[in-house]
Amino acid sequence: MEILVCFKQVPDDSVEIGMDASTGKPDLKGADPQGNAFDTYALEMAARYTEEHGGTVTACTVGTEDDKVCLKNALAVGAKKAYLVTGTDAETQDADQVASVLAAAIPKMEEANGAKFDLILCGRESTDNIGGQVGELLAQKFPYPFVTNIVAVDPKDDGATMKKELDEGYQVLELPLPAVATVSKPNYDPRYPTIKNKLAARRMQIPEIAAEPADAKVEYLAFSEPPKRQAGVKIQDDDDEVAVKQAMEILISDKVL
Amino acid sequence: MNVLAFIDVKDGKPIGTSLELLTAAKEIGETADAILVGEGLEEAAQAAAKCGAGKVSVVEAEGLLTEEALSSILAQAAEAYDLLLLSATTLGKTITPQVAGKLGAGSANDVIKVSVEDGKVKVLRPVYSGNLQQELAIKTDKAVVSVRGGSYDKPQEEGAAAPVEKLDLAAEEDALRSKIVDVIAEAGETVNLEDAKVVVCGGRGMGTKEDFESLCGALADVLGGVVGASRPVIDSEWISRTRQVGQSGKIISPDLYIGCGISGASQHVSGMRDSKYIIAINKDEEAPIFEIANLGIVGDVKKVIPILVEEIKKRKESEG
Repeated sequence: MEILVCFKQVPDDSVEIGMDASTGKPDLKGADPQGNAFDTYALEMAARYTEEHGGTVTACTVGTEDDKVCLKNALAVGAKKAYLVTGTDAETQDADQVASVLAAAIPKMEEANGAKFDLILCGRESTDNIGGQVGELLAQKFPYPFVTNIVAVDPKDDGATMKKELDEGYQVLELPLPAVATVSKPNYDPRYPTIKNKLAARRMQIPEIAAEPADAKVEYLAFSEPPKRQAGVKIQDDDDEVAVKQAMEILISDKVL
Repeated sequence: MNVLAFIDVKDGKPIGTSLELLTAAKEIGETADAILVGEGLEEAAQAAAKCGAGKVSVVEAEGLLTEEALSSILAQAAEAYDLLLLSATTLGKTITPQVAGKLGAGSANDVIKVSVEDGKVKVLRPVYSGNLQQELAIKTDKAVVSVRGGSYDKPQEEGAAAPVEKLDLAAEEDALRSKIVDVIAEAGETVNLEDAKVVVCGGRGMGTKEDFESLCGALADVLGGVVGASRPVIDSEWISRTRQVGQSGKIISPDLYIGCGISGASQHVSGMRDSKYIIAINKDEEAPIFEIANLGIVGDVKKVIPILVEEIKKRKESEG
């Protein structure tokens, strides 16, 4: 099976991002770029699938030369090919524009690969903007079936079965291929690259595909900081009984109890 | 602005966060209608009708709907409106862009405020784990937006009920290619964290699965609340992932939140910072959760929680 995994390059999600007062924008200093966590789960799912059932995994992202970091990483942990899709403006692009350039670039990637994609995967949401829209909007641009938040995919006749995560359990769906899906966190973690694979990935070419975005439907305006919560009372006493008694008095006067 | 609110139903009743949409819809819309999709919806439709909707439409659809089928139905229903509002649940967040894509509408997920300026929808939404927020203007005539639970008050029930009418819509053919062949329920997972008034969350600082279960469980029980957890607890499989509070888990805003052995990483805080009252119990006095807690107790959860449970019990008994 030919699988495409769409990446977004995001700032390290373990770094707390604050406001850069001089620009009024997020302060991304100290947060190294990386592939979005849910996209790395999608890649691991795709890599495992092709290792078991055959096929190849292609990775792509939308952006500029700087966004190749996540593709280099992807090439070291399972992707065999990678493409950079250009044409949007990171400052102003909305989710639908990202989806529109992906949709325009996909046939070009298929042509270059010499094979059509059977499955197009996106992470369920990015860890920076947390928009959760690109996979859904991309799916609307193809006449393919679509499932969100999958944690497993297996072959079934000519199509596939997908296990979809719900709030209260899972659904199993059967669908024909080609298909589009978004990926949630499966019960395994993405693999780490070997040094050999890392070096090999660094040498691999990443072709660029230019595409024209659709008109923006959403305009991104100012960032702000959410209202700060005031810290209340902090009780510290060597005797836990005393500490709890003090706490109870506060809870009663605050009408919590 | 003509606004339609999708009322999601669980066990025959509207989920609380979807009724909140009617408050937002009435605030910004000349019309604020509601739509329900599924089967056995009479009671839920009546509940929505009493919560201030102008009109309640019920689309009868048998059996389990795929998200594609539901998106198709909602897109058809939303044709007659300027704005479709959904609750930013797991389902709502995935349906929102699907409907928007079908309508060619601009959309936004998980917003905490919706307003209208010059006939266009404007929203505010948290980004970067809730450390920042960003304002967005939707430029298209139509908009589809999912609203985070707790952002608007639940509407009061009114005396007069709005008319409820059947709406004859079905999913389009091309939305029926994926089929649900099995449903796997997670044992004991009927709890709705988003609608709970009291949530007791345990973190890695609870030490062991046994202590997490017994101590957080006892505290939740005495307060009539439910147990949630931070990501490390979910990863250690001490409790089902459906109880995860924070980014990529549930976003909650209960009346009372108690964090036990939770340090307060931004990924967790982004899911509970809008709680009305926050209590934190942690032995690390530097834990960042104390910076947002109304009441912090520096101490060992294993010692503090049992005493606290006893004191609350006594207090409840004395109150009768």
